[in-house]
Amino acid sequence: MPAPQTDLLQGTLDLLILKALALQELHGMGVSRRIAQITGGAFDVKAGSLFPALHRMEQAGWLTSSWGESETKRRAKFYALTKSGKKQLHTESERWERISLAMATALRTT
Amino acid sequence: MISRLRALWNNAFRRKILDRDLDEELQAYLELVSAEKMREGMSPEEAYRDARRDTGGVEQVIQSVRDVRAGVWLDKLVQDVRYGVRTLAKNPAFTLVAMATLALGIGANTAMFSLLDQVVLRLLPVRDPDQLVIVRETGNHYGNTYGANTISWPMFEDLRDNNQVFSGMFCRFPATVTIGYDDRAAQIPAELVSGSYFPILGVVAALGRTIAPDDDAVPDSRPVVVLSYSFWRSYFDGDRTIVGRTIALNSHAMTVIGVAQPGFDGVELGIPAKVFVPIMMKTEMTPHSDGLKDRRRRLSWVTAYGRLKPSVSLEQAQFSLQPLMHSILEMEVQQPEFTRSTTPADRQPFLRNRVELLPGSENGLREYMRKPLWLLVALTGAVLLLACANLANLLLARATAREREFAVRLAIGAGRARIVRQLLTESLLLSAAGTVVGLALAFLTDRVLLRIYLPADAAAEFVVSPIPDGRVLAFVVGAMVLTSLVFGLLPAVRGSRTEITLSLKDRSSALSAGGISLRRMLVGIQVALSLLLLVGAGLFVRTLRNLDSLGPGFLTDHLLTFRIDPSLNGYSDEQTKSFYQRLDINLQTMPGVTSVGFSAMPLLKGYAWQNAVLGKDFEGAPIEEQPVLSEVGPDYFATLGIPIVAGRAFTAKDVGPAKYAVINESFAREYFRGRNPIGQRFGLVDDMEPVSPDIEVIGVIPDRKYRDLRETPPAQAYFPYLEGVHFRFMNVYLRTQVDPRQIEDELRERVRQFDPHVPVVGLQTMNEQIGFSLRTERLVASLSAVFGGLATLLAVIGLYGVTAYTVMRRTREIGIRMALGAMPVDVIAMVMHEVFILIGAGLAAGFSLALALANLVRSQLFGLNPRDPLTFVGSAIVLTVAAGLAGLIPALRASSLAATTALRHE
Repeated sequence: MPAPQTDLLQGTLDLLILKALALQELHGMGVSRRIAQITGGAFDVKAGSLFPALHRMEQAGWLTSSWGESETKRRAKFYALTKSGKKQLHTESERWERISLAMATALRTT
Repeated sequence: MISRLRALWNNAFRRKILDRDLDEELQAYLELVSAEKMREGMSPEEAYRDARRDTGGVEQVIQSVRDVRAGVWLDKLVQDVRYGVRTLAKNPAFTLVAMATLALGIGANTAMFSLLDQVVLRLLPVRDPDQLVIVRETGNHYGNTYGANTISWPMFEDLRDNNQVFSGMFCRFPATVTIGYDDRAAQIPAELVSGSYFPILGVVAALGRTIAPDDDAVPDSRPVVVLSYSFWRSYFDGDRTIVGRTIALNSHAMTVIGVAQPGFDGVELGIPAKVFVPIMMKTEMTPHSDGLKDRRRRLSWVTAYGRLKPSVSLEQAQFSLQPLMHSILEMEVQQPEFTRSTTPADRQPFLRNRVELLPGSENGLREYMRKPLWLLVALTGAVLLLACANLANLLLARATAREREFAVRLAIGAGRARIVRQLLTESLLLSAAGTVVGLALAFLTDRVLLRIYLPADAAAEFVVSPIPDGRVLAFVVGAMVLTSLVFGLLPAVRGSRTEITLSLKDRSSALSAGGISLRRMLVGIQVALSLLLLVGAGLFVRTLRNLDSLGPGFLTDHLLTFRIDPSLNGYSDEQTKSFYQRLDINLQTMPGVTSVGFSAMPLLKGYAWQNAVLGKDFEGAPIEEQPVLSEVGPDYFATLGIPIVAGRAFTAKDVGPAKYAVINESFAREYFRGRNPIGQRFGLVDDMEPVSPDIEVIGVIPDRKYRDLRETPPAQAYFPYLEGVHFRFMNVYLRTQVDPRQIEDELRERVRQFDPHVPVVGLQTMNEQIGFSLRTERLVASLSAVFGGLATLLAVIGLYGVTAYTVMRRTREIGIRMALGAMPVDVIAMVMHEVFILIGAGLAAGFSLALALANLVRSQLFGLNPRDPLTFVGSAIVLTVAAGLAGLIPALRASSLAATTALRHE
């Protein structure tokens, strides 16, 4: 069931990952499925974009990772938001809302 | 920030763990995805394959994760370096040659620069050294002077008390004193200092206290001494109880009050002061003269220093001191000592004398070494440039040979920028390796050079740190980076321009023509620089030869000299005179010695005693240069081998009340114009009292050099030494039958037995002394000869390489020509034609460069013009022959090719 592919804007992926991790810690696959879930299947994040983003955000100090056990009883890496990650989620959300509001207004104007 | 740093750290040093974790993470991901697919009904194999496909290639994911890691550039750098090391190691011959070239180039430059830095550029180790200035008087000086930077004591006091620009002034006078402690006696350099010396310099005591203004208020009142830190460590083994104890200086008991801070050896570089004494103790420290008490205004002996007020610049200060100086001079011309020794015509030029301020770190050694050192820095710079050109050439050749490798790398997706970076990394690796070796070389070289330059004991204490200081390090790193850019950038850019298809298709046609014009240009530059260095070498070597072969005008072989200073041992005038007479007789009877001569002034050491002369026939004539004077023993001329051309030499009977003189031909010509000089009379002008011409000329000697080998012999007059005023120390000259070095030890022992309290100082052969005085010329000549040879060698190698390469590229063409009937001679002519065009262009550039720069070295030359045609033409011939031969080898090889072989080539 190939979902309609939407190109991710620069920075959108980061915001989606932050949002996906807002409730609970997840492993990589979990993040991908959670994003699909919360966007109604609009975004299917592939490993090739997901993992570089996760590692980059971890280095930026927004995420922290720990090793846990997956549903398949395998060692898996779980990601969680840090304090600065939560702050980043907050500011990014606000920014995004401003942009989307502006875009919506712009597009609605005839 | 912290998380980034931690990530950087992890990426740099825990890569293995990170990579394993990443593997595991992705593996877990794959399993989760396939488990999901299995739940949807796929078979396990199918699910796993599908999952892998979905992921889009595990390797690619791993690579893109690595690319976002912090410090990925570091990663790539490490890769480049590793690859570079491997490539260089694969070609050890090339690497060694390149490294050695760079080590020589960078080493020579570093050695010269750190010497320049330590000797010429560095400031004194005191507080705010850039505020410190030397205050001196320029213009005509009448009277006696101890050197260009000195002024009289009363003038110092006037300047100190009346200026508005200095926060303080001090003065100093260097002297040699005999120190006695624990039955040991030695002569050491001392610094006589005013009470403000230490406070104004900001130099503090490491132990005890320094000399304070109180210690220097009343003449002869405070017999105190401060030791230099290094002298305290070496002579007193760092004994902390030394403060408060008494040592003997010139047989006067002096109390040690302190030790100066480490690293401070007085204000004159090259002659480190070991002890500091209040200048009010001058009478005790310099028994042979006392300018302090007689307050003569026409005796310049102290070096005066000022510390500029923070808001005042050197130029402002110099400007605002002129009126003060002028008022001092106005007062001085009224003094009887001035009116007595000069004519009214001398007054106007004298009143135009000015104050000049010099940077406080200035001194004689600096003055003396500045030009030669800058010259050597320039020479080594040219050598480094040449080495760069040579390396660029080598790398270009190598880049051509590696075109296939670059093509492969480009084909599999390497960016051109990455290839440039790779090649630059290799260049940087080469120059870094060269720099490390060069640094070691430089350190060794500097030790040797300092030993050549400074007297042995000063060199031993002149600390050249093996760890270069900030400035030298900056220079070295700068030189390294610049060098690798200069020689690496061109080949790198060329390498990255490799045409993929051409290079991969066919090896031989890939020997592209593009690099060759660049390489020819580089060879041209090498030829030009070589010519420049060869011309320099020729000029300096011939200068040295001129100085060596001209000589002083008397035989310097079998001549031994030393200095003796009985007055420092507290001998009275009568005792001193008797000492000389007895020593004279004693030495004359020494086996192997044929003759003994005494002289108050040292010969060929740059010193001169000059004084104005008066006589009834030349009164009022303008003085061009005052004659040079000395006081000598009866056998002085005979010992040096200077003949008497008229009249007679002194005898032991020439003692008062009549005064006699022996003059040289120049003196006779200048003062007695054409008359028989024998029996003429003249007098020496005295500041203190009027004199009459009462000295009778009894003999004439030919003109001989006196101060140094470069001079035109000045007018000279000699007086009997026991009747003179400068008899408190003497220079002794011994003519020997045997090699003078054989009897040095015996002589020292003989004098010690004669009088154990009076040490023999500076014992050496005349040739050694002359050799020392020519050390700069010798150093410049030998180094420039080495550099010139090296440069020629490099240029010849470069020319050979380019010619051989051209011939190889044209093999096919040559084959066709020969098949069509060209003779070997034609082939040779064809190749050599290009070679000579190249040499000609290089020579033309080199000539114009050399002609333009020639004037800069004029002052370093002797007996020849800086545009000396013989040197220029000779250098050009040498270079042309050497380079021509280098070109001839490939030309001959090309001509001996059989046409069939040549055509089958490729």
